This record gives sequence, structure tokens and C-alpha cells, in this order.
Amino acid sequence: MTGNSYNIDIWGLVVALTMVAVAAGISELMRINIGKTLLWSACRALLQLCAMGFVVGYVIRANNMWLVFAVIAVMLVAAVQITLSRAKGVPKGLAGPVLLSLTITMLLMIALVTELVVRPHPWYAPQLVVPLTGMLLGNTVSALAVGLSRFYESMDERRDEIDTMLALGASAWEAARPSIVSSIRLGLLPTTATLASCGIVTIPGMMAGQVIAGGDPINAAKYQFVVFAAIAALTLVADSLIMAMVYRTCFTADDQYRPPAER
Amino acid sequence: MGVESFTFDAAGMSCVVPSPDGDREIFRDIDFVVDGGEIVDLIGPSGSGKSSLLTAFARLNSHASGTLALAGRDSSEFTPQQWRRMVAYLPQKPILPGYTVADAIRLPWTLAVRGDGDGTSNGTRGLSRLFRSNDARAREALPDARIRKTLDAMGCEDIDLMRPPHDLSGGQAARVSLARTLLTNPKVLLADEVDAGLDDDNAEKVASIMVHAAADGMAIVRIRHRPPDGRAHRIATLADGRLTMRVAHGDGGSAEDSVKEAA
Repeated sequence: MTGNSYNIDIWGLVVALTMVAVAAGISELMRINIGKTLLWSACRALLQLCAMGFVVGYVIRANNMWLVFAVIAVMLVAAVQITLSRAKGVPKGLAGPVLLSLTITMLLMIALVTELVVRPHPWYAPQLVVPLTGMLLGNTVSALAVGLSRFYESMDERRDEIDTMLALGASAWEAARPSIVSSIRLGLLPTTATLASCGIVTIPGMMAGQVIAGGDPINAAKYQFVVFAAIAALTLVADSLIMAMVYRTCFTADDQYRPPAER
Repeated sequence: MGVESFTFDAAGMSCVVPSPDGDREIFRDIDFVVDGGEIVDLIGPSGSGKSSLLTAFARLNSHASGTLALAGRDSSEFTPQQWRRMVAYLPQKPILPGYTVADAIRLPWTLAVRGDGDGTSNGTRGLSRLFRSNDARAREALPDARIRKTLDAMGCEDIDLMRPPHDLSGGQAARVSLARTLLTNPKVLLADEVDAGLDDDNAEKVASIMVHAAADGMAIVRIRHRPPDGRAHRIATLADGRLTMRVAHGDGGSAEDSVKEAA
């Protein structure tokens, strides 16, 4: 980090929390009844972020390859758990495919963004790899959760259509394709929207962070673009992978429709 | 379309549906034979498993078991898609996806099972075909003019190909759905109460379309709830998990006792 950065002291955190508390109080007065959740979430976020800060700080200082991968492994497992808890109406036993698709995308990201574009020394530079993985996982987790929910919902809605298509000789893939397409589109919607609006109405978080920390704005913009491009491409990869792995859960071995109760 | 004789043979068909309070047996050990050019009516009280039997014939029923053969060749020699292309199940509910009626009718030709020419596609093989979308391929295999001609021959002059399928009346949709399956030229047509909910006029049209198809050598099994229309050669009754077969005596000769059984 070069240039001048402005630290936030303990009072800064207190002010931020107070803002949330005041907003929560007002919402209680207006009987919106969201105050408690808001305050509780804010406290949780503060604790989680501080913990993350300590962990990342420790990993950066330790500068040990195994430690970096251990942290990434923990993040992956947590990401699987969050994906499955957010996806509604999906059958059991998807942890394996979700973990596999997240792992593949994560490895692709490290290979491409870290080793091909940034080329840090050492190659596993925790300062780069850990935050990048975090950002990628954050995006793919929500894309996968939305995509999976939408896929199974669509397969149930299209039951008559699927039966008709199968009767006309469609393979399982052909019968599922409309649902796969619509779920991947929906999963990618936030990503494409961010890509289109960034720089005009928003300064994305990562770039904002670098600028606030005193970094060169142009450099920050370049970083942001690389990360956005990688996230967009890899979210598509993750979504396609998971669909290819799970669409067969809606069919029997003989290419018959399998209703939700039997999945 | 050459008139070659063949036999569709189903032996030992059983269907057991699992349910929370024990498995429910729909039918057991049913044998059924139909020859090319023959129309067989399948009647019986609702819930007796008529639809389950037909979907089992088309290998679309995951709860059914038994051996199926067409022209002496066992169903296990074919992929489910190849089998369903020859033994076509026509669902009761007409499902017509696509923007126009023509699109809905072309659906079967967008599927891989009809990808490499079944006599309907003409010309352009090789690499260029790989890079064309399936819709283009279907358009080539089944141009609007040919659909028009076939529909007219079936007495469907009233159906506009360029209209959205949504605008069709119930009777028109039923006839389009039937025409689509007939155009695929299956050996066996399994029609699941296609004339249910149609007025007498439309039911009559549907029946005469099927008579024409049978005259060209197709084997047709119809589930019916209406009084016999004198078109069937044999009448099969499914009740209490057992199938009984009898010959229909000419034109409406057995009308009275058949009505009694169907009721």
C-alpha cells in the first residue's frame, strides 16, 4: 500500500454501529419490525469481518503456501454450505457437485488471474489469492443458489412439457435444456448488470477500497476490471458445470421424468 | 410409407406405485398385442391404470415393468429415444411450445433422435449441418408448406400455422398435437383420451384422422371414455388390474354393451 491511507479507530466503529442502532430504533417506531434483525446482522457482520481481518492478516504475515490453501479449503466448505442453505427446493446430495464446481472455478481463477495476469512473488501470494477467492466465491455462491433454485422450480413447472418432449423422443438433456438455459441466465443476471453499470453509477467495492487506501485509481480500475471479467466468465463456468452435473437428478436411468418426491 | 405388417407385443406388464402407506399395485402381469393397421380401444373406470399402461408401453413409466417388443425386436435393443420414436405416446393434454403453431409442430424435428435423416430430411449432409441450429434443421426437414399440406389432408384447414398456439381452441389444439405425433410417423400410436373434452364434431375429426393413419399401417391404441364410435377393431377393458379383450362387432354393433362397460 503506497500513498496516504486514513485509519479508522475504535470510535469510528462505534459511530457506524450507532448509525445502525438509530436506524433500527426508527424502524421500530415506524413498526416496520426489522430493527432487531438489522442490529443483530450488523453486530454479526462486524465480528465476522474483524475475524476475517485477523485471519487474513495472520496468513499474509505467515506467508505459508499450506496455510493459504487451508484457508481456501475452509472458505470452499463454507461456500457449499451457504449455497445449499440458500437454494430452495433442491434434492439432497448436491454437496459433492457444488463443491466440485466451486473448486474447479476457484482453481481456474487462481491459474488465470493470479498466475497469468498478476504473476505475484511468491506465486501463492496470500495478499492476492485469499481476497480474490473470497470475491469469486461470493459471486458464484449466489449465482449457483439462484441457478439451482430456478432450475428445479422450472423443471417442476414444465412437467407436462417435459413429458411431451420425452414422448416425442427427446433425450433428458434436450428436455431439460430450456430449464437449464433460463436458470443460467437468471444466475448471471446480477453479474452482467454489475458489469454494465460499474464506472457510471457505481464505484465497485474493490476499486473503492484501493482508492480509499491510497492506491492509484487507474491501477485500481485495471484490477477491478480483471476481477470483474474473471468473475463473469467463471460464474458462467460454475453455473454450467453444476447444471451439467445435476440435471440428471430429474430423470430416471431410462430417461423418464422423476418427480420431486422421488429425487 | 410402405405397408409392412408388424406386431407390437407387451408381456407381463406390471405397475406398482410406491406410497407412504405401502406400495400400491395398479396392474399386474398384463399381456397385450396389437398389429399394424389395427385400432384397439382401451376402456375401463378412471383410476384403473389405463394411462399408466400406455406410458409403460412407451417406456415413459418409471413404476412399470415387463417386456416389450416391436416386430420381434426387444425394447432393450433400442435407446429410450429410438423406442419412443417408434412407439409414440400422445398425452391427453396438448402441449404446444413455441411462438407459432408451425414451431410447435416442428418440435420433434429439433431433437437429436431425428437428427440424421429419417427420410423426411433432404440433402445437405456433412459439416455444414453441424453448425446449423436445430431450428434451421427442423425447418429444412419439415417446411411450412409440407405442414400445411398434411394438416389440410387431415381436415385441419381451419388452423393457421402462423398463429400463436395459445390462440387455438381446445379442439384445434388437440388436433395439432395429434397431427404433430402422426407426422413423426410412429409405428404404434398410443393416444391417451385425445378426444376428451372435445365436441362431437371435433371428436369425429380426430377419429377419422386416426382411421386414415391406421389404414396406412399404423397400430393405434386409444383410451376412450366416449361411447364406441365403431372405429375400433378390438376393445380392451382394464379393471381391477386385469385386462380383458374382445372383438368389436363391426360398426356400432356392440354399442349398447360397450356403453355399459365404459360407464
